[in-house]
Amino acid sequence: MYIFLCEDNIDSIFTGIYDAWASRYGHANISLTTCPPDNYTLFSEYITVETDYEKSEKVARTLRARLGEETYTEICQAACALEENHGRKKAMDKADAIYHTIVLALALKDGSKVLNYLGEPYVNRVFHLSRKAGNEAHHLLGFLRFQELENGLLFARIHPKNQVLPFLGEHFSDRLPEENFMIYDASHNQAALHPKGKGFFLTDTQDLNQEMLGRFSPEELEYQKLWCTFFENIAIEARINPKLQNQNILKRFQQDVIEFTRGS
Amino acid sequence: MNLQKNMDLLEKLTILSDAAKYDVACTSSGVDRKGTGRGMGNSIAPGVCHSFSADGRCISLLKILLTNECIFNCAYCLNNCASQVKRAAFTPDEICTLTMEFYRRNYIEGLFLSSGIMISPSYTMDLIYQTLWKLRQVHHFNGYIHVKSIPGADPVLLEKTGFLADRMSINLELPTADSLRQLAPCKSRSTILRPMRQIQNRITDNKQELMVYRETPRFVPAGQSTQMIIGATPENDFQIMSVAENLYQKFQLKRVFYSAFVNVNGNSNLPALPGGPPLLREHRLYQADWLLRYYHFHVSELLSEDRPDFNIFLDPKCDWALRHLEFFPVEINQASYQTLLRVPGIGYKSAERIVKARKRNRLTFEDLKKIGVVLKRALYFITCSGKMMYNTKLEENYICENLMRDKTQIPRDIREGGYQQLSFFDKEMRSDFQLTDTQILPPGQRVSSI
Repeated sequence: MYIFLCEDNIDSIFTGIYDAWASRYGHANISLTTCPPDNYTLFSEYITVETDYEKSEKVARTLRARLGEETYTEICQAACALEENHGRKKAMDKADAIYHTIVLALALKDGSKVLNYLGEPYVNRVFHLSRKAGNEAHHLLGFLRFQELENGLLFARIHPKNQVLPFLGEHFSDRLPEENFMIYDASHNQAALHPKGKGFFLTDTQDLNQEMLGRFSPEELEYQKLWCTFFENIAIEARINPKLQNQNILKRFQQDVIEFTRGS
Repeated sequence: MNLQKNMDLLEKLTILSDAAKYDVACTSSGVDRKGTGRGMGNSIAPGVCHSFSADGRCISLLKILLTNECIFNCAYCLNNCASQVKRAAFTPDEICTLTMEFYRRNYIEGLFLSSGIMISPSYTMDLIYQTLWKLRQVHHFNGYIHVKSIPGADPVLLEKTGFLADRMSINLELPTADSLRQLAPCKSRSTILRPMRQIQNRITDNKQELMVYRETPRFVPAGQSTQMIIGATPENDFQIMSVAENLYQKFQLKRVFYSAFVNVNGNSNLPALPGGPPLLREHRLYQADWLLRYYHFHVSELLSEDRPDFNIFLDPKCDWALRHLEFFPVEINQASYQTLLRVPGIGYKSAERIVKARKRNRLTFEDLKKIGVVLKRALYFITCSGKMMYNTKLEENYICENLMRDKTQIPRDIREGGYQQLSFFDKEMRSDFQLTDTQILPPGQRVSSI
């Protein structure tokens, strides 16, 4: 067995896929992983993948052309998903599932249909990962809150499990083209930055000026107050139901949503 | 009019959001629209929930009234002309400011604008139109707008407004014309259905125009919806669902909403409902509504004159399946999509996935679980490659008893609801639902097994 060790990000996984494919060891003898193993198995050869953006871009281009935009997006979402292990049983490696799903897709007459075949364990895993990341991204389209800083920048902080910034960046760039905004992913120390009138880009946040983030524009607190008033008034007293509320907006989201943090 | 003068924005918002909360519809679904590169706003078809209020309902839109001043006297409404409440009115500019500032902070997906009737229906509708016009043309707001048609307003105003809104709705309020006459004497079936028909026809024409010329302005692209109050008047579920079915078929509505009645103004002509609003009944109506819209069911299959109300213990689909065991078991690897839709525990998405996935692999129970089928409900009704999952009997009492052990038949939030404590044997609730023992307990079922 040849095992390719990738880092847990989309470019590294796609580079791993490129290298694995190019290695010609035979798909059945290849496995990819994003978690460095605790115990190296005997008779396996481990190959560390060096992230190469050109290779990653080539893989992306091939997937787009052969599987179509929709399936490509699903695979990207899966690559951005958090690998959670429930209980003792280890779930299938994310990178491995994606690799073998792509192998199957490229063997099909119509690659765009690959995610239909949920009876295939690899495909099933990709489907589940993609759905998890997709669901969280969708929730955050709604739960994310911008605050207007003194300099006019709209700033939002989130703590997502999955790496959802690319999806959020795209949505909000389309929605707020004339705003300068920044979405800060505090779990992965990354940010999506959107300068007014331009496209967005991702950046590391080592030198994020924390002090600046606390200085709001003069109107900001006023609108927060108006919003919180609305939020309280819109509930029907005879139907008050905190359990249902917490079921619908999980506590882990509430920490970044002003109407839940701003005690009134 | 007794509008208060010199009110600040916060006070107005307090009054006019409080007055808007009994309108159920808060969805922002039904239209996909990219941003235009200027102003702000776009829209995605599934809609987006931005928050959940203390009653657990979704907040998607800034739901407010233009004014709670009203010349009508609907008995169920807190804003009727006889009630002693503080009255306020927004100006169109105030609504624009709130919408734009809330939207850019991502509090909301758009605006839901309704109103009490100030001076006359047409006067009010004109103010609504002006507000929408400013939002779209001056502020270049490209997000979602849901607006109410005011019954009795000039059709020309409705038409003009429809080109600025994504969704329009006019509330049916009560399921029958009789009830409407009693509780809302200023409204009538015709002042409600006429504008509904007008908008329906205009939507149809607009679709034709769009086929000829793609740049034609779109008219109410997310369609129409309506709302009925449940439990204020004596209609049974069969009557309510038949009305809903009619609205879907004859008026091509996108959604019908059901609103469990809350006696807001202590009106003694209306039920008191000490057990709280009839939430479980509302829930069953929504479940049945989904069966109509996504599962190809007809009301006549679910209810009849002899069985006019839903079983409170079982969801309508399980209830149907138990009465049609001749239909089962269904073989997963062969049954048609339509057949799969009828199986309890298989949703329309799972059914679609099954049909696609089985083209390549024979599916097992393990696969079904991963696909999203709820096996604890489905297992009595299906086979995989000719085998049942367990050694179960295809027998009404046996399956019924097992299905009722599944607590999710009554959703947790209603079962343990924060406000309303449900007791199955509560006399009052039974009378709210107008149920007899035989309706509550399926034949052969003993009380002790619940």
